[in-house]
Amino acid sequence: MALRLNLYHEVLKAKALKRRDPLKISIYALSAIAAMCACWYLIQFMKMHSMSDELARVKAEFDQVEPAAKAARKREEELTAQSQISTQLAKRMEGRFYWAPVLAQIMQVVPREVQITRMGGDISGEGLRRCMITIDGLSAGIDPRRVAEDLRTAIAEKFSPNYKNVTSTFKMLEDGTEMVMLDGKQTATAVFAINVQLYTGEEKSNAPVRKKR
Amino acid sequence: MKLGKEEIQKVVLGVLLFFGLIYSYFDLLLGPLSKRQEATQASIAALGPEIAKAKEQIEKTRQLELNADAAMLTARQVDTMIPEGSPVAWFPTRMTEFFKKQGIDKALTRMNGEMPDKELPGFRKLVWGVDLPKVEFVNFAEAVAALENQEPLFEIGALQIDASREDVESQHALITLNNLVKQ
Repeated sequence: MALRLNLYHEVLKAKALKRRDPLKISIYALSAIAAMCACWYLIQFMKMHSMSDELARVKAEFDQVEPAAKAARKREEELTAQSQISTQLAKRMEGRFYWAPVLAQIMQVVPREVQITRMGGDISGEGLRRCMITIDGLSAGIDPRRVAEDLRTAIAEKFSPNYKNVTSTFKMLEDGTEMVMLDGKQTATAVFAINVQLYTGEEKSNAPVRKKR
Repeated sequence: MKLGKEEIQKVVLGVLLFFGLIYSYFDLLLGPLSKRQEATQASIAALGPEIAKAKEQIEKTRQLELNADAAMLTARQVDTMIPEGSPVAWFPTRMTEFFKKQGIDKALTRMNGEMPDKELPGFRKLVWGVDLPKVEFVNFAEAVAALENQEPLFEIGALQIDASREDVESQHALITLNNLVKQ
């Protein structure tokens, strides 16, 4: 077996020592970590860049849409207000109190023994509207008070199907001082005043109150 | 392996440098970047619903605009019913002509008052007194019916009919009329 002599062992040892230099190893390790960090940072930076692009796109879209939405909101308010006025006008016209049917019904119930000397009426309220009618007149006949009473009840019966809470009451009923000629006979008279009260329309409903939690 | 003093110093220096680098990396580079990312993400997330809401509003208004013609038909019709100019100038004349057509020759109209209408912005209510010195009841009732049918903006608030002692065939009527006009 041949004997081998390593005459360079000192040189080799020095080289090995140099290879295992901790500073050098540390620098390598640090460089590797720094490279990894730089790569991670670059990835994050790219991500941030794409996010910035996305934000710019979204902002541009918002800037474009927002003024249009503002104008639309304003227009909606205008249209809603106009529509409400329109609805209110229609409601107002449809909710009017019509006097012509009242006059027609009074004409139908007044008998020939009665002369109306004065008739007045007024309407009040919003929604559910109250109508007050006063009828002053003169009734004639064998029993003029009975005639007046018949008129009072006839008025209430005539109005009841078309109006709500119809009441017909005597404000005054007295024997008349004068005699009148009816069917060729002198007959006694009675002076009366009838108050008629009736309602029409619907009561205004209040907006529902939201309960607080 | 034995480290010399110089090498130990180098190692310590290296470790310090390493920690400094790590700190700088996180604090000066990655930290602000993450914060910016979060802020950007939040902005994108916040703008999304805003854009959706704005688009919804535009669409809603577009739909409303399409249906507006039908909804505002009454308002347009009412506009055409109200003549231009001061009501004092046209209303009494209109009433006189109307009652003349109905066979009532004399009608005196005067304004009794005026009030704004809270429920109808842009409109006001005028109260008129129409005096009909000589009317026949049936004719008067027909005139009232015609007035109520032809003039939807008028409403008779009150009326009074008195029989005349001198002339049993005719009565004296007084109408209080409410009329809607533009402000």
